[in-house]
Amino acid sequence: MGGAMSFEPVVLFFVLGVCAGLLRSDLKIPGSIYEALSIFILLAIGLKGGVEMAKHAVGALLLDGLVIVLVGALIPLVAFPILRYLGRLSRADSASIAAHYGSVSVVTFSVGITLLGQELLEFEGYLIVFLVLLEIPALVIGVILARHGQGEVRWGKLLHEVFFGKSIYLLAGGLVIGYVAGPEGIQPLDRLFFDLFKGVLALFLLEMGLVAAMRIADLRTYGAFLAGFAVLMPLFSATLGTVTGWLLGLSVGGTFLLATLFASASYIAAPAAMRIAVPEANPALSIGASLGMTFPFNIFLGLPIYLWMARLMHASGG
Amino acid sequence: MPAQAKLLTILTEAVLEDDVVELIMAQGAEGYTISEARGRGAHGLRSGKWSAGANIRIEVVGDAELCARIAERLQSDYGRDYGLLMFTTPVEVQG
Repeated sequence: MGGAMSFEPVVLFFVLGVCAGLLRSDLKIPGSIYEALSIFILLAIGLKGGVEMAKHAVGALLLDGLVIVLVGALIPLVAFPILRYLGRLSRADSASIAAHYGSVSVVTFSVGITLLGQELLEFEGYLIVFLVLLEIPALVIGVILARHGQGEVRWGKLLHEVFFGKSIYLLAGGLVIGYVAGPEGIQPLDRLFFDLFKGVLALFLLEMGLVAAMRIADLRTYGAFLAGFAVLMPLFSATLGTVTGWLLGLSVGGTFLLATLFASASYIAAPAAMRIAVPEANPALSIGASLGMTFPFNIFLGLPIYLWMARLMHASGG
Repeated sequence: MPAQAKLLTILTEAVLEDDVVELIMAQGAEGYTISEARGRGAHGLRSGKWSAGANIRIEVVGDAELCARIAERLQSDYGRDYGLLMFTTPVEVQG
């Protein structure tokens, strides 16, 4: 076993951004740069996953995939009654927040991958596919929970947003290109997409810190329940992911990444989809919790805990 | 186009762009102009970052009746749940 707690220095850029926001520095990342950075990260992660998939047989993936998606779909179903009955939030807000937590965060996942790189741990590259697959059941369940047979659902509009919104579109596109090209075919792009990845992630985290600084104030208004939920829910989901990963026979790195996927909450794809499908839900609540609390919790404390959990599970379970 | 016309300015959430544009054209407008916007209002700070936190400003020039019709439809479809601010100003179209 390595050190008790692992730490990935790239998260310090997030702190730098939060401090700039709180101290009212004039630091701003222009919108077009932010767009470019996010396109880069989504494509790079997609390509990485595609290349890994090309290296291995994909047949065995189907059963694992089904199990992972089904277990992942439990997360919004567990979150909803907690928010609704313990937190006494409205049906729409509970459903929207549940969808955010069932959905996943590409940046949290990226920080997880860099942490594995630092610990020299391998992982099953096809897990990147679940960045795409876990998004869909979470958002659809969220909408069903919000509607509960009442009011019309604009499914066409929602599904269009889910599948053709830039996050899923670029991730899936990168996966396909990486898979078709294979490790050799993609090599000329390695410098841009893989070698520069960590640097771009650092800039992106700086921007996320700036945005999160604005959201921390939001969260203060909504009280202790939501703050507690934003920390305890990812711990529960990560436990679910650790056990699932171990049962499926994933490596330590893969188990850790599955826990990270389950624990992370969306703040880009889910907010846009929920705004369209459940307009009466207050976006400040869900984004405040996922971006203001869960994201920083995950990258600073969560990821080291999940890695420790994965190692423990493999050490004790064999 | 008449020399005397109204300019309808709509400030709303960027996620609504496609829907609002469709509605404007369906009501018979000749066209529209969209710009990105940010600011603060009843829905809190709209930073312009992330699609869910971004605002747009849509401008439509047309006769008073068209502008009123668009505004009425938008208000009834989106006024309750979304950030939506609309106003008209008299304008003289030059070209």
